[in-house]
Amino acid sequence: MSLSLTRLEKFYKDQSGKSFGVLGPIDLRVETGEFLCLLGPTGCGKTTLLRILSGLEKPDSGEIFLLPGRLGYVFQQGALFPWMNVESNVMFPLKATGITGSECRSRAGELLNLVGLHEFRKSFPHELSGGMQQRTALARGLVTEPELLLLDEPFASLDTRTGINLQEMLRSLCGRLSTTVIFVTHNIEEAVYLADRIVVMGHRPGRIVRNEPLNLEWPRSRLSSGFTEVLLSFRQTFEELVDPSATLSF
Amino acid sequence: MRGKIIHNENKVRISGRFSVDDLKEVTSMLEGISSRHLVMDFSNCQSVDTCIAARMWSITEAKRARGTSFEFLGMNPDIKAIFDRFEVSDERSPLPVTKNALLYNFEDIGGKVLVTWDTVSGLVSFTAKAFKALFTGKVRGSITAYYMEQSGVMAVPIVVTLNWLMGVVLGYQAGYQMSQFGAELFMPALLAYSICWEIGPMMTAVLVAGRSGSAFAAEIGTMKVRQEVDALEVMGFNLYGYIVTPKMIALFVVMPLLVTVANFAGMAGGLAAGGMFLGMPAEVYIAEARKALVPFDLYWGVIKSLFYSAIISVTGSFMGMRVRGGPASVGRATTSAVVVSIFLVILVDALLSLLFVHLRPGLTL
Repeated sequence: MSLSLTRLEKFYKDQSGKSFGVLGPIDLRVETGEFLCLLGPTGCGKTTLLRILSGLEKPDSGEIFLLPGRLGYVFQQGALFPWMNVESNVMFPLKATGITGSECRSRAGELLNLVGLHEFRKSFPHELSGGMQQRTALARGLVTEPELLLLDEPFASLDTRTGINLQEMLRSLCGRLSTTVIFVTHNIEEAVYLADRIVVMGHRPGRIVRNEPLNLEWPRSRLSSGFTEVLLSFRQTFEELVDPSATLSF
Repeated sequence: MRGKIIHNENKVRISGRFSVDDLKEVTSMLEGISSRHLVMDFSNCQSVDTCIAARMWSITEAKRARGTSFEFLGMNPDIKAIFDRFEVSDERSPLPVTKNALLYNFEDIGGKVLVTWDTVSGLVSFTAKAFKALFTGKVRGSITAYYMEQSGVMAVPIVVTLNWLMGVVLGYQAGYQMSQFGAELFMPALLAYSICWEIGPMMTAVLVAGRSGSAFAAEIGTMKVRQEVDALEVMGFNLYGYIVTPKMIALFVVMPLLVTVANFAGMAGGLAAGGMFLGMPAEVYIAEARKALVPFDLYWGVIKSLFYSAIISVTGSFMGMRVRGGPASVGRATTSAVVVSIFLVILVDALLSLLFVHLRPGLTL
C-alpha cells in the first residue's frame, strides 16, 4: 500500500465566518504502483484533496498514512518558472534532492527526450505552446522519479489530440517507473483511458460516491465495446452528480 | 437491487434499500406508472441515497406538472431529510434579514479588529520565519544582485532628485523665516541636521516602499496566482529562504547606501537654496553644516535604514504571500504592501527618534 486516508475532513469558512465542509469524511486506499483517477464535477474538492496529500494544505480531521518518499506534482497550468528555460525548469526539483552537475543534466536530458522536447531545452516557457508547456511540467514532475505523482487536471486546457498524446505518454512513463499516480480530472473518457481504478467524488461536501477498479486490458482502445460500456456507466453516475434536476426532461 | 417497488392501482410500495446502482430500475418502474393520484408508501423502506431520491423527486415533479397528485407516506426521518433538501432548494431564496443599524456597526468593528489582528499576528510570525531563514539559509548571489540593482541602482536618480528638491524647499523655507530674525547663518545647521536625522532616511524609505515593496508584493502575488509558490513548496524548497531572503539582503545592502546618497543630495539642495535665495556662499554653507554635524548624524541614518529595509522587504513579501485567488488580489496586496510599509516606517521612526535621540553626542534636551 502506498497511502491510505481515514475519515479525512476539511472545512472552510465563508464570509460570515460560518464553517462549511468541503471535503469528507473520505476513506481511501491506494496501492503501490496503482494509477488512480479522481473523477468529479468542478468544486467537489478533488484539488483540495490533492493539496492535502502534497502537504500544501492541512486537513481539519482524519488521518493520512503516506509512505515516505519523493513526491511529484503536476499543476493544472504547469506552474513553470518563467525566468528559467525548459532544461533548468526540469532540473530544478533535483536541486532540492541534492543532485547537481552532470547527473542532474543527464537526467533532465533523458526526461526531455522521452517527452520529445530535447531540441527545445533552451527555450523559455513563453516561447512554447500549451501542450509543450504541459510536457515540460510532466518532465519536471517525473525527473526525481517520484514514488507518488499527483496530477491536477494537467491536460484540461489542451485540445483533444494533444491531450490524447500526452495521456498515452503519461501512462507509459508511469508504467516504466512504477510510480503510484493520483490523477485528478473531470473528463470521464480521460479517466477511463488512464486509470487502474476510478474514484468518483460528489460535492458539498466532497465525498466518494463510487470506487471501482477497471477491468480493461492494455493497450486500451477508445472504440472497444468494453471501453464504451465503462464510459457510459461512469457518465451516468457523473451526470446524476452534476445536476439531479436534469432528469426533469422526461 | 436490494429494494423493491410494487405498483398496485394507485399505490406504490417502496421497500428495502436503494442506492445509485438501482437507478435504471427505479427510473423505468416509476416512469411506467400512470394515474391521476398516487400514494407513495415508504413504510418498509430503510434507506434511499441522494441519487435515487433526486431521481424520484424529479419524476414526481414531472408527473405533477402533467396533473398527477402525490401523497407520501411512512418516510423515516433520514429519507424525509433527503427529500426535504430538494423541496427547500426549490423555494426562492429568503429575503435578506434587515439588521439593526447599531448592531451592524458593532459587528463591523469586531470584524475589522479580527482582520487586523490576523494581519498583525501573521506579519509577526512571517517576520520571525524570514529572519530565521536569513540567518540559517544559503545566500543566492545572482538573484540577490538582481534585486540590489532593481531596488538600489535603479532608484538612485529618483532618490537624488527628490531629496535635492526637499533640500531646496526646506532651505528656502527655513532661510526665509530665519532671515527675519537675522539668523540665516543657522540655516545650514538646521538643514543638515534635519536631513540626516529625518528627511533623508524617511524620503528614501517612502520611495523604496513605493518602488520595491510594491514590486516584491506583485512579484510574489503573481507567483502565488500562477501556483509557482506551491510548486516550490512541493519540491521541498524553503519558501522564506528562496523567495524572501534575497530581497532582504538586497535591501540591507542598498538602503544604507541610498540613504547616504539621499543625505548628500538633500544638503546639496540646501546649498543651492542658500545660494539662490539668501546669497550664501558655498564655502560658508559647507563650513556651517560641518560645524553642526557630528559623524553620528550620518551613522544614524544608516542605522535607521536597516530597520526600514527589514520593514519594506518583509512587508512586501508578506503581502505577496497572502494573495489568494485571482489577479485582482495581486493589486490589493500591492496597495497594502505600500500602505503598511509606510505606516510601519513612520511608526518605527517615531519610536527610534524618541528612544535614541539621547545617543547623539553633545545633545542635551
